[in-house]
Amino acid sequence: MAKTDRQNIPSPIGENSPRIDAREKVTGAAIYADDIQFGNSLLHARIKRSPHPHALIKKIDTSKASSLPGVKAIVTGEDFPGYIGLYLRDRYIFCRDRVRYVGDPVAGVAAISEEIAEKALELIEVEYEVLEPVLDPEFGASPKAPLLHPDLGQYAVVNFIFPQPGTNISNHFKIRKGDVDNAWGKCAAIIERKYRIPHIQHVPIEPHVATAKVDETGEITLWVSSQSPFAQRNLIAESMGISHSKMRVIAPYVGGGFGSKAGVSMEALVVAIATKVKGHPVKLLLTREEEFYTAFVRQGLIAYFKMGCDENGRLLAMENKFYWDGGAYTEYGVNVTRASGYSSSGPYEVPNVRTDSHCVYTNHPVSGPMRGFGMPEMHAGLEQCIDELAHQIGMDAVEFRKLNCLKTGSTLVTGSKMHATGLPDCIKKTAEAIGWGTKAPPSAPNKRRGKGLALMWKAPAMPPNAGSSAWVELAEDGTVNVGVGGQELGQGVFTVMAQIAAGTLGVPYESVRIATPVDTRYSPYEWQTVASRLTWSMGNAVSNAAKDAKRQILDTVAEAWEETPEDLDIVNGVVISYKSEKEIPLKSLAVYGLPKPDDQGWRGGPVVGRGKFMPAYVTGLDPETGQGERAVVHYTTGAQAVELEVDLDTGRIEIIKGVSTFDVGKAINPEMVKAQMEGGFVQGMSSALFESLQLKDGFVRNPSFVDYRIATSADTPRDLQAYIVEVPQDDGPWGARGIGEHSMVPTIPAIANAIYDAVGVRLEGPPFTAEKVYLAMLDAGIVK
Amino acid sequence: MAINTHPSLFEFDYVQPATLAEACEFLASHAVEARPFLGGTDVFVRMRDGFLTPQFLVDVKKLKGLDDIHFDPKAGLTLGAAVNMNRVIASPEVKAHYPLLAEACRSVASYPLRNRATIVGNICNASPAGDTIGACLTLGGILHIHGIHSPRQESLASFFLGPGKTILKLGDVVTAIHFPIPPKGSVGMYLKLGRNQLSDLSIVGVTALGHPDSNCKSGYRFRLALASVAPVPLVPTEAEAYLANHSITPESVSEAARLSADACSPIDDVRGSARYRKLMARNLSAKALSEVWKKLN
Amino acid sequence: MAFHKINVTINNELDQLIVPSNMTLMHMLRESLALTGTKNGCSAGECGACTVLLNGEPVNSCMVLAVECDGAKIVTVEGLAGKKQLDPIQEAIVQEGGVQCGFCTPGILISSHALLKRNPNPSEDEIREALVGNLCRCTGYVRIIESVKVAARMQSVTD
Repeated sequence: MAKTDRQNIPSPIGENSPRIDAREKVTGAAIYADDIQFGNSLLHARIKRSPHPHALIKKIDTSKASSLPGVKAIVTGEDFPGYIGLYLRDRYIFCRDRVRYVGDPVAGVAAISEEIAEKALELIEVEYEVLEPVLDPEFGASPKAPLLHPDLGQYAVVNFIFPQPGTNISNHFKIRKGDVDNAWGKCAAIIERKYRIPHIQHVPIEPHVATAKVDETGEITLWVSSQSPFAQRNLIAESMGISHSKMRVIAPYVGGGFGSKAGVSMEALVVAIATKVKGHPVKLLLTREEEFYTAFVRQGLIAYFKMGCDENGRLLAMENKFYWDGGAYTEYGVNVTRASGYSSSGPYEVPNVRTDSHCVYTNHPVSGPMRGFGMPEMHAGLEQCIDELAHQIGMDAVEFRKLNCLKTGSTLVTGSKMHATGLPDCIKKTAEAIGWGTKAPPSAPNKRRGKGLALMWKAPAMPPNAGSSAWVELAEDGTVNVGVGGQELGQGVFTVMAQIAAGTLGVPYESVRIATPVDTRYSPYEWQTVASRLTWSMGNAVSNAAKDAKRQILDTVAEAWEETPEDLDIVNGVVISYKSEKEIPLKSLAVYGLPKPDDQGWRGGPVVGRGKFMPAYVTGLDPETGQGERAVVHYTTGAQAVELEVDLDTGRIEIIKGVSTFDVGKAINPEMVKAQMEGGFVQGMSSALFESLQLKDGFVRNPSFVDYRIATSADTPRDLQAYIVEVPQDDGPWGARGIGEHSMVPTIPAIANAIYDAVGVRLEGPPFTAEKVYLAMLDAGIVK
Repeated sequence: MAINTHPSLFEFDYVQPATLAEACEFLASHAVEARPFLGGTDVFVRMRDGFLTPQFLVDVKKLKGLDDIHFDPKAGLTLGAAVNMNRVIASPEVKAHYPLLAEACRSVASYPLRNRATIVGNICNASPAGDTIGACLTLGGILHIHGIHSPRQESLASFFLGPGKTILKLGDVVTAIHFPIPPKGSVGMYLKLGRNQLSDLSIVGVTALGHPDSNCKSGYRFRLALASVAPVPLVPTEAEAYLANHSITPESVSEAARLSADACSPIDDVRGSARYRKLMARNLSAKALSEVWKKLN
Repeated sequence: MAFHKINVTINNELDQLIVPSNMTLMHMLRESLALTGTKNGCSAGECGACTVLLNGEPVNSCMVLAVECDGAKIVTVEGLAGKKQLDPIQEAIVQEGGVQCGFCTPGILISSHALLKRNPNPSEDEIREALVGNLCRCTGYVRIIESVKVAARMQSVTD
């Protein structure tokens, strides 16, 4: 056998390895949570929900519903006094004394069929005393507003969230950097703007679904479409007052998450109901309508920006006020408030910054994490202000950004330093690809063409001790099974983990399997599948586990061959020695080990590698100034540009071309990274042109696909380009960092800037519907 | 309200009568408890939303003749009520003689939905947003109706009473829609403004059909119909009259478009505001008339 | 409520079932037959996740009553490949990276397969129009549209 060159070992890292789950998904074999067969003991749940945005519950009468044949159990908040919540425990599982949004769960029914459960809802009688609702976050933050959470001061809260008891403010995050007041005087140009970003919804094509069973010993099993099996175990167990060891979460493939299936929302409802029908699995499947107004939503934002630069275009100061419309419960939304606060400079170096980011309770649907976690909402206004400032100072918008953008070593708004970043390359590549500085003629006399560009940055928003763990186990034939706790939402994480395991261990990609479904009884712990953190965090854990397995194997073989492990390697599933050129396939020792000479016994044995990763260096931020050494693990940065046409007769926007460039550190699977950029662009475009939850008096007026429009195959641009920049992350596997969310962040402002370039109008916020654009052009005299 | 939409259809009895007479008899004797249906794309949705609660759904699709497409070069086109929109689009007779009908059908929803949706169903649902209604109005569509009394015909012009309300009586089954041969040289267009590029309901829809007509001062007769701008599909008669009496120029097209918009009484709803709808009625009328005019010459 | 005995061919196998009037074809497939490849995304005929072939034509199975399928031939994603390993559109969508979460995928495959049957060489516009009723939230559609073009080429080679 020819001597293997240490340098030329084949590895799937950086290859476009085929998706590990593709075949299952195209044949209909892939099992999602609503596909699991439970047999005849399955009961169906439906939820009685508040018809009022704000009311006291005076009385609940379930007697008529209970006597409907086929109804097995009805529960209300009376039986479940525990609070629940991720960062702030401000919610009950079922409402107890009051309801705070239209859709707030008041009672739950389990019946032998979904139809009977639905009929039972109509028979449950609830008496309400309607209260004045809070429908605007600025009003909600003012002393005039009724208090929605009088007990705010008593809620358990993590030490990096700062609720203001006696108000509706569940978090107030501050940045006080430099001397903003003095800096305005030095500015040659100042822009002051207000932006209003509406609520939107994740709209995964698979609605939320969860089935819970409580057995006679009190052990709970939850089968669920979930981004967070371990967090769900944690939050529900604590709220119900049971041991984590008595709660098991099984999480199969997820039909789209985007954040909506993180944390706990509807899952706790079905667990609570299941406690009353021991031995029966109870399933709750949200209708699409419920998905729109009772599942997590992306909270609305009213944002005030003020920014100024000197005569050379250098940003000197920024002042930001954010009022987040957190909705009825903000146990998750409070962290969006924080994340937007510590990112409030945008990806720019700004010496003086004052930011006040408030999370405000309102009687609107519940805020949760959505792709971008506050970044799309914030950049929507910020990146338009940057364009306007550049214009005012007489600089090209791209040149202005190149001047001010973060570079390696820049000082950040939190006082820490920017790690190695390819943001300048992203700007350059994006501007080039969109043809910045040139303008093609419009395709028809009634169209106007424009180009716009925007930057972004985002760090994974998570607690300082969010950890990952993994195991790597070999079977007799040398194939590899990898245990993880993170979830495949479609982003391709199982594929990437298999690539990382294969690349680290030295086995062919095809020989690696991921142990699915994730099951908290057997799978290793993973904080949550959110924050674009898995490639980096879980990737490190998998890599460490594979390294551990490799070390065990090489130690055994080294001993057998009387060599040192440093001279050995595993290549393509074969252990080789660079020194002696001996080799032995893994399947010859993976489980049974190697025999000692002269029949003197055996060495080695089953190989199970374990690994974990938790960043050790995350510091806090000063509660008064928002300054700290290293409050986030890293940032992914990037740029997007669009070329579009505006129809002067209708106001309709058509996106002709979209370009994305992101610095992902290392693209473990480049085509899948590009696929994230494409999908994120289109979801961002959809949020820019079509989407808003139309809230009136606390009601969502468009909770269906008929009137909540999302991008279809006919809307996607004909020319969508994605480029990868790789400036390695020091502690990422092969230098990788995340991409899942980032491609949706700059799309709204890129489009807004392009609309301005085309017709000279800016709107107060998305969606830039044909109507809004047309009426803006009409009011500006551009059309008659 | 969609807030209370049910997960599935509540209980009802599916009934498939063997003959038309049986169907009408059943519908009449069960009054509001029974409802006929074709593709179900409107009926099922409204049942889930709780607007319709029939005890009996009467499937009239398989009744004799309802699935037929019949063309006669003198009499015109007769489409059985059960003919789905994709079949209309694909029909060679429709392509040759009634392309406006195919264009209107094509704007509806999606290909799979059009395998179930029917023009007659679209008409009977009587939404002012109905995409095929404008084409049917401008082409002079006539409904063939069977009831418990003798069969009759109704012109579409007086068919609609309000959103979701028609002149149909209990026991009525629409069996076909008939279109006379369009006047020689007819050119038509359906301009639909939705929120997405394709597949949406209309915020505003304008159907324009024009043909040479020596009886008109201008030498041309135009028929117009507007969707989503009034409680019923709207025919702006003043605009039509104006075009009959004034020679067709960019200015007269503009004026006709203005008259068309004036005739509208749109509302504010989740899809659009009244103000925008009026402006789009004007702009789309102008555009549709200009395009049709171009082709007429 | 009435119940009906129906004979229906599903993925080339003849079945006989007793279905209530109010059961949709989608529920019959998913609940009565455990053919869970067809997905429930909205139950309102809007998202296309439930698309199946009914007598060769794609329909939203949530908008069809099971009882209406007496005597009908149904093809679901599980039967799309027929006797082959994979239908060209299944191969193509895997190759082009048009699958992410996979929930819209069965409906997309059925709609695309039907398109290629009636129009073996569709243009970009025709593909976009044919898929407009199949909503996808993950991919942004670009790779799906490309997959249909690739499948068309694959099919023209083998035909």
